[in-house]
Amino acid sequence: MTSSSAPSRKVLSKIACNRLQKELVEWQVNPPAGFKHKVTDNLQRWVIEVNGAPGTLYANESYQLQVDFPENYPMEAPQVVFVPPAPLHPHIYSNGHICLDILYDSWSPAMTVSSICISILSMLSSSTVKQRPADNDRYVKNCRNGRSPKETRWWFHDDKV
Amino acid sequence: MENEEGLQADGESDPKAPIPVSEVDAWENIRDDDIMQQQSAIRAEEAEKVPFIGDKEPLSVLAAEYESGSPILLKKIKVLGEKYGSIRRTRGDGNCFFRGFMFSYLEHILESQDQAEVDRVTTNVEKCRETLQALGYADFTFEDFFALFLEQLESVVQGKETSISHDELVIRSRDQSISDYIVMFFRFVTSGEIKRRSEFFEPFILGMTNATATVEQFCKSSVEPMGEESDHVHITALSDALGVPIRVVYLDRSTYDIDHVIVNHHDFIPSAGHLPSAGGGSSETTKPIVTLLYRPGHYDILYLK
Repeated sequence: MTSSSAPSRKVLSKIACNRLQKELVEWQVNPPAGFKHKVTDNLQRWVIEVNGAPGTLYANESYQLQVDFPENYPMEAPQVVFVPPAPLHPHIYSNGHICLDILYDSWSPAMTVSSICISILSMLSSSTVKQRPADNDRYVKNCRNGRSPKETRWWFHDDKV
Repeated sequence: MENEEGLQADGESDPKAPIPVSEVDAWENIRDDDIMQQQSAIRAEEAEKVPFIGDKEPLSVLAAEYESGSPILLKKIKVLGEKYGSIRRTRGDGNCFFRGFMFSYLEHILESQDQAEVDRVTTNVEKCRETLQALGYADFTFEDFFALFLEQLESVVQGKETSISHDELVIRSRDQSISDYIVMFFRFVTSGEIKRRSEFFEPFILGMTNATATVEQFCKSSVEPMGEESDHVHITALSDALGVPIRVVYLDRSTYDIDHVIVNHHDFIPSAGHLPSAGGGSSETTKPIVTLLYRPGHYDILYLK
C-alpha cells in the first residue's frame, strides 16, 4: 500500500491534536507489549511495528501498522491498515485492510491507539490458521481505486478468531 | 467474516448480524445489500432533516402526525394533552435519549437558576470521574468530555461573563462539535455506572440480549460507541450516576381498554444518596427534572403545560 490510500487529509482539530499528544506521551511511558512506534513530527500518521506474540502462529514475525487520524479524532475512528505485506490471517486482506468491528461501527472515543493495538494483537494471537479471507481477491480488486476500509460495509460474523 | 461491497451509508446496520455471505446466492445477496443500503440511506437522510435539537412545538403537532393513524394513539395524545403542552424533537440518530437529556437538563438549570442543583450535580460528576479512574480508564480518554460538559453547565448559570442565553443554548445543542461531546460525556458516565454496579445491572443486561454478553461487552458495544440506542439500563444508570430523576412517558399502541386509554410513564428515581434532597426518596415526592416522550425507538423532550 502506498501513502495515496490515506483519507483526504484535513488538519487535526485543536481537541484532536491535544488528545493525540496525550496519547503519545502515554505511549512513550507505557507502550503496549509487542509494539514499537517511532515518534516523528507527524502527529496525524503513526507507523507502528507489530511483533507476533511468542507461541502463536506469528511468533518472530514483524509487520507495520499505519494509523491515520481524522480531523475530529477521537469522535471519529482512525483508519488502521497493515502496510503490505500484511500478515496471513482470515480477517486481514492482502491490501492490509482489517476486518475488526472496533475500527468501524463499534469505535468509541473511549478507545485509544494502544487499545486498538492490543485488540489487533489479540486477533492475531487467537488465529489457528494462516490464510486470507475467502473473498480476498474480490475485495482487494474493489479497493483498487484507493478506497479506505472505513468506506467498506463490514459484516462481523465471527468473533471466535 | 467477510465484507460487503458498497459504500457504507451510515453506522446503523447491526455489525453483529450473522450474514453468511458466502453461503447465499450471489444475486440475492447483492439485492439484499442494495436494499439495506437504500434503507439506511433513507434513514440517514430523514434523520438529518431534523436538527439535533428541534424547536419547541405545541403538542398538537403530534396529533397531526397521526391524523389518519391509530385511534388508540390519537386518544392517548389527547390524554397526554391534559398534562403536557409542548414537545421538542430530537434527531433520530441513536443518540436521542442522551441528546434530549442534555438539552432538557441544561434548559432546566438555565430557567431555574438552581445553584444547589448545579453544585450537587458537579459533585456527582466528580464521583463519576473517580469511578472511571478506578475502572482503569486513562484520564485523557474522558477528560475533554467532562470539561466540555462542566463548561456548558457553568455557562447556563446567569450573571457571569461566560453566561449564555436560551437561544445560545439551542445553538450549542445543534453544534456537532459541542453536542456530540456532551452526548459522549453521558455515555462515559453511563458506562462507568453500569460497570461500577455490575452485579446490579447484569441480570437486566442478560435479559435484554440474546447472546450471553458480559457487562463489559455490553458497555463496549452498546453504551460507549456513538449512535447506539438507549433503553432502561442506560437511563437507570445515567439517572443514578448524576442523581437526576427522569420521567419517560410512553406513547405506544398498547392498551387494556380502548374507551379508557391511559398514558403510562415510568419515573427513574436515583437511588438514595444521590438524590437532590438527602432524605427525600419515594417516587411520589421526587419531581422529575427531565421528561421525555418515548415512542418505540425514539425519545423527544416533553413539556408540562
